[in-house]
Amino acid sequence: MANLSIPSIRERLFNTSKHEQTTQRNSTNPFAATSFKGNVLTADVFESSTKQNENQNNGKLKASALVGSISGYGEKFQNMINSVISFGNRVKENVVNGWNKMNSIEISFAPAKEVMGNFYGSIKDTLNTPMSDIFFTGISAKSVSKMDDMAQARELMASHVEAWESMV
Amino acid sequence: MVTVDKKTVKNVSNIIEGLGMNPNSECIGILEDVGTNSKIDAIREMTSRALVKRNEEDALRVVIANKGKGINDMSTVVAMSTINELLSLTDKTIAMKVLSNTVEMHSDEEVRDNARSVKALMALS
Repeated sequence: MANLSIPSIRERLFNTSKHEQTTQRNSTNPFAATSFKGNVLTADVFESSTKQNENQNNGKLKASALVGSISGYGEKFQNMINSVISFGNRVKENVVNGWNKMNSIEISFAPAKEVMGNFYGSIKDTLNTPMSDIFFTGISAKSVSKMDDMAQARELMASHVEAWESMV
Repeated sequence: MVTVDKKTVKNVSNIIEGLGMNPNSECIGILEDVGTNSKIDAIREMTSRALVKRNEEDALRVVIANKGKGINDMSTVVAMSTINELLSLTDKTIAMKVLSNTVEMHSDEEVRDNARSVKALMALS
């Protein structure tokens, strides 16, 4: 006769290696070989056709013990499932909120457009500028710093200052 | 609005800078005659700074001891720019000497007062 204490049933349910090696399969349970890898119902909780004469109360006790055990785990599974469902709901809620936020944000390419406009403007200005202004070919400070003819230097400065003053 | 040709501005700027670097002492006279007497504030400012950068007694005397030029210019921008250039000098010995002489010996009271103020600033810096 199988040991029907709760720990032993739990062991049979979840400890596959030890119990399976020692238990002789003479169960009439049709799912014993296939369901739960053959481990769950090895303790005969159903009435065997060959053992119908055995004590009926004993069988009921086994069944109630197993059902009680399973129902206890069922509650835990239910809690886990509820957690998963609530997690899923939160994810879904976040996704929906994100989608709503994305819809509420007006996506604009104004900055890029502005940059491109400025770039185009600078190119246009450059093209309109005479090449002589782009590549400055005027008087360099270095050449003036090496001038020996001071009369020429005075004339040079006077003419350019006069040119500037005439523009104002 | 009057716009000044950029090339002309660049040319004048380079000429003033070049004359400031030129070792020939006649350059000081050119800068004084043409640059510090210009009606354009920017030209007077550039000229004063070039004269200070030379850090020579004759050049510094132009911007310190002359009424209406350098630190005594009617334009605040020109005067402040010149003072700033004086304060930026690494070796202030010659500038302090010129300032002291101006404070003690110049005939114009306003020039003396300006020189005294700048001298006090340079002593503190």
